[in-house]
Amino acid sequence: MWVLDHPSTARTAGLLADTPAALLAVLAIGAAASVALVEVAVLPPPAIGIAVLTAGHGALLATALAWAHRPPATGALAAGVIGLAAAVSRLNAFGPLAYLAPLLLVSVLARGGRLGALGLAGPVALKGVVAGLFIGMFLGGHLLVTASRTVGVQVHLPTAPEALAALAYDVGANVLAAECFFRGALFNRAQRRWSFAAAVTLATAAYVLRYLVDPLLPMRVELVVGAVFYLALLGAINCWLFWWSESLVPGFLSALIFFAVYRVLDPA
Amino acid sequence: MIGVALALAIITALIALVGPEPASLLRHAYLLPVVAAGLRFGLPGGVLGAAAAALLSAPVLLSEIERSGVTSDAAEGLVTLGVLALAGAVSGTLHTRADRHRKRYHTLVAVQRALADDVTLDVALTRLRATLAARLAVDDLALAARDGERLVVAGAERVVPGSVGARVLARGAPAFVGDVGGGVRACRAFVTPLVAGGRAVGVLAVERRGEISFEERAALEALGAHVGLALENARLASRQRQFAAELAEKVAAARRELEELDRAKTAFVAIASHELRTPLTSLQGFSELLAMRRLPPEEVTRLASVMWTEAKRLGRIVSDLLDLSRLERGLAPALCRVPLALEPAIEATADLFRLGAATHAIAIECEPALPAVDADPDAVERVLTNLISNAIKYSPAGSTVRVKAQALAGVVAIEVADSGRGIPAEALERVFEPYYRAPDVAGVAPGTGIGLAVVKALVEAHGGAVRVDSVPALGTRVTFVLPSYAGPVP
Repeated sequence: MWVLDHPSTARTAGLLADTPAALLAVLAIGAAASVALVEVAVLPPPAIGIAVLTAGHGALLATALAWAHRPPATGALAAGVIGLAAAVSRLNAFGPLAYLAPLLLVSVLARGGRLGALGLAGPVALKGVVAGLFIGMFLGGHLLVTASRTVGVQVHLPTAPEALAALAYDVGANVLAAECFFRGALFNRAQRRWSFAAAVTLATAAYVLRYLVDPLLPMRVELVVGAVFYLALLGAINCWLFWWSESLVPGFLSALIFFAVYRVLDPA
Repeated sequence: MIGVALALAIITALIALVGPEPASLLRHAYLLPVVAAGLRFGLPGGVLGAAAAALLSAPVLLSEIERSGVTSDAAEGLVTLGVLALAGAVSGTLHTRADRHRKRYHTLVAVQRALADDVTLDVALTRLRATLAARLAVDDLALAARDGERLVVAGAERVVPGSVGARVLARGAPAFVGDVGGGVRACRAFVTPLVAGGRAVGVLAVERRGEISFEERAALEALGAHVGLALENARLASRQRQFAAELAEKVAAARRELEELDRAKTAFVAIASHELRTPLTSLQGFSELLAMRRLPPEEVTRLASVMWTEAKRLGRIVSDLLDLSRLERGLAPALCRVPLALEPAIEATADLFRLGAATHAIAIECEPALPAVDADPDAVERVLTNLISNAIKYSPAGSTVRVKAQALAGVVAIEVADSGRGIPAEALERVFEPYYRAPDVAGVAPGTGIGLAVVKALVEAHGGAVRVDSVPALGTRVTFVLPSYAGPVP
């Protein structure tokens, strides 16, 4: 028993310890430089999307890896792979498959037992997977019904390439980076310092904030309110899933399904 | 949980089938699964049940508000949601509190049962740990309690100095650790003192991979105080039982001692009567002869000599008895101390034995210029008489009894040695006890068993000491020391 047979020392580091500040600065400068270069017509306009996407998702994933005690080079590699995938995804219809590369990188690291601190070590219990799928389907279904009944959002079935692109983006960038950072890193650290409720509140608030500043979110009030409601619910439930199953996979699955359903809604 | 989810789904489906109206009467049916969830799973169950009901009714309610604003129907639906939230929270809270009180009561009863038997602290802590671990739903539990200078620990190897447990034990205040490491889920730990008599007599430590709420910590703190008191009571009861057992043992030992003393005194009375009667018989017989017959002067002298010897023997026994009587009353023998030259005193005493039927040779070896001793002449004579008499009694006829005196630092040591049967080792340490006679000499030689006790009392009354060395079959040597007289001999 630790409290009896180990000397008590100040073991808790700061909440933001090990943050790769230099890499984050480089990503931010890169995004700003891309915007500037597009403005002066040195780079084509799609470069902004690639740079911002790389900076956003790359920063989240690199920070999560750094907090899991991976060397800075691993975080830089992850951000680079996301950037490369974002660029390749725009080349042709099968380009989005490049988003599987970040997932592959994380999977390789997890298989080597190097991401245990993010909840990516060892087998996942079946009940966790089932719970994740159920919660994703429940929230997605609820979103579908509520959105279509209240704010008049129409269901738009995407074409196969569109569906593939959206799914690949969520798998390799959007959901992967968000779950790794907000659940595997931020909530994981916070719950060791404060109560479960406080940790859930912090991680969920940060999660909602991340999507509120996302330029892809439609800026209609009712849609923003709905996004806050569902994202808060999804964030809080995924925190509980992570805590309960001791794995990031169930939350990843629930978020993936939720976003897959979200993609079939047409705000227009 | 599945039943609650199923009930919520059925009610939602029925509302959808009948007509999705926010003021549908069927909405009240949500109360049943929500209250059931609260009563089954406590506060989290009640709140989650209400939240699930709100989520399921939201599409109907929100679409009404979106379409027509907050109509009376929508207001009714909103009130219903409020009632559901309240019902879930209240039923859950009540259930949680009742469950907490029930568990606390059962835990206290279990603690009392675990400590009911008369067992050692180690066993009591082990039992207590098993009882509490099963009831507190924790991943690990340890107990440590002071047992004098020792710290008894159950559930851990030891309490390391500088650990949280050691700190709680020293300060007597509980401590909470947010995470002790070891897994994805934070492992909380709480250590609370076991309090008895206003001080920490131990600690109760729990670790759980999950939350330990404020209420649980308060309950654990109260449990620590209760366990401390129960342990202290068990310890006191155990000590009382141990004290009672020790007392009974002492009473039994004292009784055995008294019985032995009683037997010894009975035996002494018999022996003393015999010892007194022997010289009396001689005195009676010889005095009768002198009175009734005319005897030649030589015979008269011989008989008178025998009578004188027997009278001396009688006097010695009576003196010993008187001294013993004083000794048993806690009084020191009465002494009249004067500077005494030892060699003449030894010679005079030896002559007494030589005058009678001399069966043994008595060899005296005194150091030249032996200093005088500060002693009572009568007491010294009685000590020497007792020792020489014993040496003669317990050594074969014809052997030599050696009396030796030598000066040491501030004292004079007198040694009486024989080459007799010796004293068994087991009897050696008891030879100075009153009435004691070694088992192997009873019936072999006459004696009351008080001679050496009187010798010891007389020597110690002079501030001296006496000791016996004996080798069975080789002989016995009794040595006593008396303080030298420092002044001039008058």
